Amino acid sequence: MSCPRSEIDPLRYLDGVMSPGEREEFQRHLESCEDCTRTVQRFEELGRITRRVKMRDPTDEFWQTYWKSLYRRMERRVAWIFILIGTVIFSVYAIYEMIRSFGVLTLEKVAAAFILIGVLLLLVSVVRERCHQYKVDRYKDVKR
Amino acid sequence: MEAFGRIVKMYMKTAYSVALGYVGNVEDARDLSQDAFIAVYRARKSFDVSKPFFPWFYTILRNICLNFIKSRRKLKVLSEDVLEFRSDDYETPGGYASYSERAGIIWEALFKLSPEHREIVVLGDLSGFSYKEIARMLDLPEGTVMSRLYYARNRLYELLEGFDF
Repeated sequence: MSCPRSEIDPLRYLDGVMSPGEREEFQRHLESCEDCTRTVQRFEELGRITRRVKMRDPTDEFWQTYWKSLYRRMERRVAWIFILIGTVIFSVYAIYEMIRSFGVLTLEKVAAAFILIGVLLLLVSVVRERCHQYKVDRYKDVKR
Repeated sequence: MEAFGRIVKMYMKTAYSVALGYVGNVEDARDLSQDAFIAVYRARKSFDVSKPFFPWFYTILRNICLNFIKSRRKLKVLSEDVLEFRSDDYETPGGYASYSERAGIIWEALFKLSPEHREIVVLGDLSGFSYKEIARMLDLPEGTVMSRLYYARNRLYELLEGFDF
Protein backbone atom coordinates (compact mmCIF):
# COMPACT_ATOMS: atom_id res chain seq x y z
CA MET A 1 0.00 0.00 0.00
CA SER A 2 1.57 3.26 -1.00
CA CYS A 3 -1.18 5.75 -0.13
CA PRO A 4 -0.80 6.75 3.54
CA ARG A 5 -4.56 7.24 3.81
CA SER A 6 -5.53 3.75 2.66
CA GLU A 7 -5.55 2.25 6.17
CA ILE A 8 -7.74 4.43 8.36
CA ASP A 9 -9.73 6.66 6.02
CA PRO A 10 -11.57 3.93 4.07
CA LEU A 11 -12.74 2.52 7.43
CA ARG A 12 -13.93 5.89 8.70
CA TYR A 13 -15.61 6.55 5.36
CA LEU A 14 -17.51 3.26 5.29
CA ASP A 15 -18.38 3.26 9.00
CA GLY A 16 -19.88 6.74 8.73
CA VAL A 17 -17.63 8.53 11.22
CA MET A 18 -16.38 11.22 8.81
CA SER A 19 -17.85 14.71 8.91
CA PRO A 20 -19.73 15.77 5.74
CA GLY A 21 -16.72 17.92 4.74
CA GLU A 22 -14.22 15.09 5.27
CA ARG A 23 -16.47 12.71 3.40
CA GLU A 24 -16.72 14.99 0.41
CA GLU A 25 -12.96 15.52 0.35
CA PHE A 26 -12.31 11.76 0.63
CA GLN A 27 -14.73 11.03 -2.22
CA ARG A 28 -12.65 13.38 -4.38
CA HIS A 29 -9.49 11.59 -3.21
CA LEU A 30 -11.01 8.23 -4.21
CA GLU A 31 -11.32 9.39 -7.80
CA SER A 32 -7.54 9.55 -8.09
CA CYS A 33 -6.33 6.91 -5.58
CA GLU A 34 -6.32 3.26 -6.57
CA ASP A 35 -5.16 2.01 -3.14
CA CYS A 36 -8.00 3.65 -1.24
CA THR A 37 -10.56 2.66 -3.88
CA ARG A 38 -9.45 -0.96 -3.67
CA THR A 39 -9.67 -0.96 0.14
CA VAL A 40 -13.13 0.65 0.04
CA GLN A 41 -14.32 -1.98 -2.46
CA ARG A 42 -12.94 -4.87 -0.41
CA PHE A 43 -14.45 -3.62 2.84
CA GLU A 44 -17.77 -2.80 1.20
CA GLU A 45 -17.96 -6.35 -0.05
CA LEU A 46 -17.02 -7.73 3.37
CA GLY A 47 -19.54 -5.42 5.06
CA ARG A 48 -22.29 -6.79 2.84
CA ILE A 49 -21.55 -10.22 4.32
CA THR A 50 -20.97 -9.34 7.99
CA ARG A 51 -23.99 -7.04 8.18
CA ARG A 52 -26.22 -9.94 7.17
CA VAL A 53 -25.19 -12.29 9.98
CA LYS A 54 -25.69 -12.18 13.72
CA MET A 55 -25.03 -14.48 16.65
CA ARG A 56 -27.93 -16.81 17.23
CA ASP A 57 -29.79 -16.23 20.52
CA PRO A 58 -29.67 -19.28 22.78
CA THR A 59 -33.00 -20.77 23.90
CA ASP A 60 -35.02 -19.36 26.81
CA GLU A 61 -34.18 -22.51 28.76
CA PHE A 62 -30.46 -21.71 28.40
CA TRP A 63 -30.98 -18.32 30.04
CA GLN A 64 -33.26 -19.69 32.72
CA THR A 65 -30.58 -22.12 33.85
CA TYR A 66 -27.73 -19.59 33.42
CA TRP A 67 -28.33 -17.72 36.69
CA LYS A 68 -29.18 -20.88 38.62
CA SER A 69 -26.00 -22.66 37.54
CA LEU A 70 -23.93 -19.54 38.28
CA TYR A 71 -25.44 -19.39 41.77
CA ARG A 72 -24.70 -23.09 42.32
CA ARG A 73 -21.09 -22.62 41.23
CA MET A 74 -20.68 -19.77 43.71
CA GLU A 75 -22.21 -21.90 46.44
CA ARG A 76 -19.78 -24.72 45.65
CA ARG A 77 -16.85 -22.35 45.87
CA VAL A 78 -17.93 -21.47 49.42
CA ALA A 79 -18.14 -25.18 50.20
CA TRP A 80 -14.59 -25.71 48.90
CA ILE A 81 -13.33 -22.83 51.03
CA PHE A 82 -14.83 -24.47 54.13
CA ILE A 83 -13.26 -27.83 53.21
CA LEU A 84 -9.91 -26.12 52.66
CA ILE A 85 -10.06 -24.31 56.00
CA GLY A 86 -10.98 -27.59 57.74
CA THR A 87 -8.09 -29.40 56.06
CA VAL A 88 -5.63 -26.68 57.07
CA ILE A 89 -6.84 -26.75 60.68
CA PHE A 90 -6.62 -30.55 60.74
CA SER A 91 -3.13 -30.52 59.21
CA VAL A 92 -1.84 -27.94 61.67
CA TYR A 93 -3.27 -29.96 64.55
CA ALA A 94 -1.72 -33.17 63.17
CA ILE A 95 1.71 -31.50 62.92
CA TYR A 96 1.34 -30.25 66.46
CA GLU A 97 0.46 -33.74 67.69
CA MET A 98 3.35 -35.29 65.73
CA ILE A 99 5.83 -32.89 67.24
CA ARG A 100 4.35 -33.33 70.73
CA SER A 101 4.58 -37.13 70.71
CA PHE A 102 7.60 -37.58 68.44
CA GLY A 103 8.71 -41.21 68.05
CA VAL A 104 5.31 -42.87 68.61
CA LEU A 105 3.89 -44.12 65.31
CA THR A 106 0.08 -44.22 65.05
CA LEU A 107 -2.33 -44.68 62.12
CA GLU A 108 -3.49 -41.06 62.44
CA LYS A 109 0.10 -39.85 62.11
CA VAL A 110 0.72 -41.97 59.01
CA ALA A 111 -2.51 -40.65 57.39
CA ALA A 112 -1.61 -37.07 58.30
CA ALA A 113 1.92 -37.53 56.90
CA PHE A 114 0.49 -38.76 53.57
CA ILE A 115 -1.91 -35.79 53.40
CA LEU A 116 0.90 -33.35 54.20
CA ILE A 117 3.22 -34.83 51.59
CA GLY A 118 0.39 -34.67 49.00
CA VAL A 119 -0.43 -31.06 49.86
CA LEU A 120 3.24 -30.07 49.70
CA LEU A 121 3.69 -31.76 46.30
CA LEU A 122 0.58 -30.01 44.97
CA LEU A 123 1.80 -26.69 46.33
CA VAL A 124 5.22 -27.03 44.72
CA SER A 125 3.66 -28.08 41.41
CA VAL A 126 1.19 -25.16 41.38
CA VAL A 127 3.86 -22.61 42.31
CA ARG A 128 6.18 -23.94 39.60
CA GLU A 129 3.37 -23.83 36.99
CA ARG A 130 2.38 -20.29 37.98
CA CYS A 131 6.01 -19.11 37.77
CA HIS A 132 6.33 -20.63 34.31
CA GLN A 133 3.00 -19.11 33.19
CA TYR A 134 4.02 -15.70 34.47
CA LYS A 135 7.30 -15.82 32.53
CA VAL A 136 5.57 -16.57 29.21
CA ASP A 137 2.34 -14.61 29.83
CA ARG A 138 1.79 -12.16 26.96
CA TYR A 139 -1.08 -10.52 28.82
CA LYS A 140 0.56 -9.99 32.21
CA ASP A 141 0.60 -6.23 31.66
CA VAL A 142 -3.13 -6.10 30.97
CA LYS A 143 -4.71 -4.41 33.97
CA ARG A 144 -8.01 -5.60 35.41
CA MET B 1 -26.64 -10.76 46.28
CA GLU B 2 -29.88 -9.33 44.88
CA ALA B 3 -28.02 -6.46 43.20
CA PHE B 4 -25.50 -8.94 41.84
CA GLY B 5 -28.36 -11.02 40.41
CA ARG B 6 -29.69 -7.93 38.65
CA ILE B 7 -26.25 -7.21 37.16
CA VAL B 8 -25.95 -10.81 35.93
CA LYS B 9 -29.39 -10.66 34.29
CA MET B 10 -28.56 -7.31 32.70
CA TYR B 11 -25.20 -8.35 31.21
CA MET B 12 -25.36 -12.14 30.81
CA LYS B 13 -26.34 -12.06 27.14
CA THR B 14 -23.57 -9.63 26.20
CA ALA B 15 -21.03 -11.50 28.33
CA TYR B 16 -21.95 -14.80 26.72
CA SER B 17 -21.72 -13.35 23.17
CA VAL B 18 -18.34 -11.77 23.88
CA ALA B 19 -16.98 -15.03 25.33
CA LEU B 20 -18.38 -16.98 22.40
CA GLY B 21 -16.54 -14.63 20.06
CA TYR B 22 -13.31 -15.51 21.82
CA VAL B 23 -13.64 -19.25 22.32
CA GLY B 24 -16.16 -20.37 19.69
CA ASN B 25 -17.75 -23.02 21.83
CA VAL B 26 -21.14 -22.65 23.53
CA GLU B 27 -20.30 -24.57 26.72
CA ASP B 28 -16.95 -22.83 27.23
CA ALA B 29 -18.55 -19.44 26.54
CA ARG B 30 -21.19 -20.10 29.21
CA ASP B 31 -18.60 -21.24 31.77
CA LEU B 32 -16.16 -18.39 31.07
CA SER B 33 -18.83 -15.70 31.17
CA GLN B 34 -19.97 -17.15 34.50
CA ASP B 35 -16.33 -17.13 35.70
CA ALA B 36 -16.22 -13.41 34.87
CA PHE B 37 -19.32 -12.74 37.00
CA ILE B 38 -17.81 -14.73 39.87
CA ALA B 39 -14.57 -12.70 39.54
CA VAL B 40 -16.61 -9.48 39.53
CA TYR B 41 -18.42 -10.56 42.69
CA ARG B 42 -15.15 -11.36 44.42
CA ALA B 43 -13.53 -8.07 43.31
CA ARG B 44 -16.63 -5.91 43.90
CA LYS B 45 -14.90 -3.87 46.62
CA SER B 46 -12.16 -2.76 44.23
CA PHE B 47 -14.67 -1.40 41.70
CA ASP B 48 -14.65 2.38 41.36
CA VAL B 49 -18.36 3.30 41.40
CA SER B 50 -17.67 6.64 39.71
CA LYS B 51 -16.70 4.73 36.54
CA PRO B 52 -18.97 2.78 34.19
CA PHE B 53 -19.38 -0.89 35.01
CA PHE B 54 -19.19 -2.48 31.57
CA PRO B 55 -15.60 -1.59 30.53
CA TRP B 56 -14.37 -2.92 33.89
CA PHE B 57 -16.38 -6.09 33.49
CA TYR B 58 -15.27 -6.45 29.89
CA THR B 59 -11.57 -6.30 30.87
CA ILE B 60 -12.09 -9.08 33.42
CA LEU B 61 -14.03 -11.20 30.93
CA ARG B 62 -11.44 -10.61 28.21
CA ASN B 63 -8.54 -11.65 30.45
CA ILE B 64 -10.37 -14.80 31.49
CA CYS B 65 -11.05 -15.71 27.85
CA LEU B 66 -7.51 -14.95 26.66
CA ASN B 67 -6.01 -16.95 29.52
CA PHE B 68 -8.31 -19.82 28.65
CA ILE B 69 -7.28 -19.73 24.97
CA LYS B 70 -3.63 -19.57 25.97
CA SER B 71 -3.88 -22.47 28.42
CA ARG B 72 -5.44 -24.92 25.96
CA ARG B 73 -3.14 -26.31 23.34
CA LYS B 74 -5.69 -26.90 20.62
CA LEU B 75 -8.84 -25.03 19.72
CA LYS B 76 -11.81 -27.02 20.95
CA VAL B 77 -14.32 -27.97 18.27
CA LEU B 78 -16.26 -24.90 17.22
CA SER B 79 -19.95 -25.03 18.04
CA GLU B 80 -22.12 -25.23 14.96
CA ASP B 81 -25.04 -22.98 14.11
CA VAL B 82 -23.75 -20.11 16.22
CA LEU B 83 -24.03 -17.52 13.48
CA GLU B 84 -27.19 -17.06 11.50
CA PHE B 85 -28.30 -14.87 8.67
CA ARG B 86 -30.83 -12.24 9.65
CA SER B 87 -34.35 -13.56 9.04
CA ASP B 88 -35.15 -11.18 6.17
CA ASP B 89 -32.33 -12.85 4.21
CA TYR B 90 -34.10 -16.21 3.99
CA GLU B 91 -36.63 -14.75 1.61
CA THR B 92 -34.07 -14.86 -1.18
CA PRO B 93 -33.59 -18.17 -3.06
CA GLY B 94 -31.30 -20.74 -1.44
CA GLY B 95 -33.32 -21.64 1.62
CA TYR B 96 -32.37 -22.00 5.25
CA ALA B 97 -29.97 -24.93 4.80
CA SER B 98 -27.77 -23.10 2.33
CA TYR B 99 -27.67 -20.02 4.59
CA SER B 100 -26.78 -22.12 7.60
CA GLU B 101 -23.85 -23.53 5.63
CA ARG B 102 -22.69 -20.07 4.60
CA ALA B 103 -22.94 -18.81 8.18
CA GLY B 104 -20.76 -21.77 9.17
CA ILE B 105 -18.11 -20.71 6.64
CA ILE B 106 -18.04 -17.18 8.10
CA TRP B 107 -17.84 -18.55 11.65
CA GLU B 108 -14.90 -20.81 10.74
CA ALA B 109 -13.14 -17.95 8.95
CA LEU B 110 -13.49 -15.81 12.08
CA PHE B 111 -11.66 -18.48 14.03
CA LYS B 112 -8.76 -18.42 11.62
CA LEU B 113 -8.08 -14.85 12.77
CA SER B 114 -5.86 -14.21 15.79
CA PRO B 115 -7.82 -13.64 19.05
CA GLU B 116 -6.94 -9.91 18.92
CA HIS B 117 -8.25 -9.55 15.36
CA ARG B 118 -11.28 -11.70 16.05
CA GLU B 119 -12.30 -9.67 19.09
CA ILE B 120 -12.18 -6.45 17.10
CA VAL B 121 -14.33 -7.90 14.27
CA VAL B 122 -16.82 -9.37 16.74
CA LEU B 123 -17.09 -6.10 18.64
CA GLY B 124 -17.06 -3.76 15.65
CA ASP B 125 -18.77 -5.68 12.88
CA LEU B 126 -20.98 -8.24 14.60
CA SER B 127 -21.92 -6.47 17.85
CA GLY B 128 -22.00 -2.93 16.46
CA PHE B 129 -19.86 -1.15 19.08
CA SER B 130 -18.38 2.18 17.98
CA TYR B 131 -14.61 2.80 17.73
CA LYS B 132 -14.83 4.90 20.87
CA GLU B 133 -16.60 2.17 22.84
CA ILE B 134 -14.15 -0.49 21.68
CA ALA B 135 -11.21 1.75 22.55
CA ARG B 136 -12.61 2.18 26.08
CA MET B 137 -13.27 -1.53 26.50
CA LEU B 138 -9.85 -2.63 25.27
CA ASP B 139 -8.02 0.31 26.81
CA LEU B 140 -6.47 1.22 23.47
CA PRO B 141 -6.21 4.50 21.53
CA GLU B 142 -8.93 4.87 18.88
CA GLY B 143 -6.24 4.93 16.16
CA THR B 144 -5.01 1.49 17.25
CA VAL B 145 -8.58 0.16 17.19
CA MET B 146 -9.01 1.37 13.60
CA SER B 147 -5.63 0.05 12.52
CA ARG B 148 -6.36 -3.35 14.08
CA LEU B 149 -9.78 -3.40 12.43
CA TYR B 150 -8.16 -2.62 9.09
CA TYR B 151 -5.82 -5.64 9.31
CA ALA B 152 -8.56 -7.88 10.71
CA ARG B 153 -10.99 -7.00 7.92
CA ASN B 154 -8.32 -7.48 5.29
CA ARG B 155 -7.51 -10.93 6.62
CA LEU B 156 -11.18 -11.88 6.88
CA TYR B 157 -11.77 -10.64 3.34
CA GLU B 158 -8.94 -12.87 2.10
CA LEU B 159 -10.40 -15.86 3.95
CA LEU B 160 -13.88 -15.33 2.51
CA GLU B 161 -12.76 -14.35 -0.95
CA GLY B 162 -13.98 -16.86 -3.53
CA PHE B 163 -17.04 -18.01 -1.57
CA ASP B 164 -20.39 -17.06 -3.02
CA PHE B 165 -22.42 -15.19 -0.42
